[in-house]
Amino acid sequence: MELDDLKTIWKEQDLLSGTGHEPAGQLARLLRERSRGPIERMRHNLRIESLLLILTYIPTIIGYLTMFHGSLWIIAVVFSLILIFYGVYFYMKSRLLKKMQCVTCEVRSNLARQVRVLGKYLRLYLWSGTLLLLIALVIAYEVLKYTRDQVSHRVTPYWWIPPVFLLVLLGLFAVGSYFLNRWYANKLYGRHIKKLKELLREMDEV
Amino acid sequence: MEQPDLQLAFIRLVNENRGMLYKVCRMYGATEPDRQDLFQEIVIQLWRSYPSFRGAARFSTWLYRIALNTAISDLRKQRRHITPVDPDLLPSQLQDIQYSNEKEEQLQQLYAAINRLTEVEKALTMLYLEDKSYQEMEEILGIPQNNLRVKMNRIKDKLRKMTKEAAYGIGRP
Repeated sequence: MELDDLKTIWKEQDLLSGTGHEPAGQLARLLRERSRGPIERMRHNLRIESLLLILTYIPTIIGYLTMFHGSLWIIAVVFSLILIFYGVYFYMKSRLLKKMQCVTCEVRSNLARQVRVLGKYLRLYLWSGTLLLLIALVIAYEVLKYTRDQVSHRVTPYWWIPPVFLLVLLGLFAVGSYFLNRWYANKLYGRHIKKLKELLREMDEV
Repeated sequence: MEQPDLQLAFIRLVNENRGMLYKVCRMYGATEPDRQDLFQEIVIQLWRSYPSFRGAARFSTWLYRIALNTAISDLRKQRRHITPVDPDLLPSQLQDIQYSNEKEEQLQQLYAAINRLTEVEKALTMLYLEDKSYQEMEEILGIPQNNLRVKMNRIKDKLRKMTKEAAYGIGRP
């Protein structure tokens, strides 16, 4: 077949595949359906994660503030700080997801935008996950130290052991958590970002 | 424009351009559920973007951008789970066409050849078959015209070769 024949066949397919209009009611119902695109699914997951966090953290914070005449208030403060950290983290993720797609833009620039913003999203995921674990460790150490100091003011000659132990632990957890988060982020989005980059490369190559 | 009027105007536009939407779905959807799913997604994306359409770009450019952006970056082939869609909501024209005569056979050969192209090549092929100028292709895809011409020549050679093969039954599933 010659290319002109292909064009003719292509144009004639409207006749072959039917000419009837979609009923307006059918399309109107379709408009009320939720998007199932990958970015919409990521936003949906983020909303669920945020909701779960609020539903578990708020009762926990209230519990620590009210239990044992409020003597465990310090733990409530720790949970509140973690909740604030997560709040900022989710807000940043949500902002990136809003910026991730521009369906009305040129296809190439939309792909480039997705690669760029998804890269930022993954870096945020990676560093926040690593940082949160380290912050949690430091806070746990400080809470234990505070609680111990309340009970005893005795200074031992081995006072340097706990901070050194903490530093070693922080180092180990930082490396472990970084690689674990990187592996998980790659498992979640690795194929997607690879495919986007391939498409972009194909568009740019001459 | 009020919401019901806006919706009516939008539905009219979708109906006027449904042929082009079906073609995108047939090109990028491997199976019938994929095509139906993609049709729904494109219509939703069009509807979301419709209120902000100011006429700065040509309507067909705007429409192609949304349809191709949705089809290409959605990467539906990678989906492990396809959510079933209510069949009552979906256009019957997206179902596989039953081929009964020579023209339909040729159309099937054309789609068999197109299915062997990459996602980007499919987009270029569609715009070429729709007789879009290089200027409009650039506006839709964002690929410079010089680059487009080189790519298009390569794709034309591929298409010629593949449709010949398809005519002899090579490369068919």
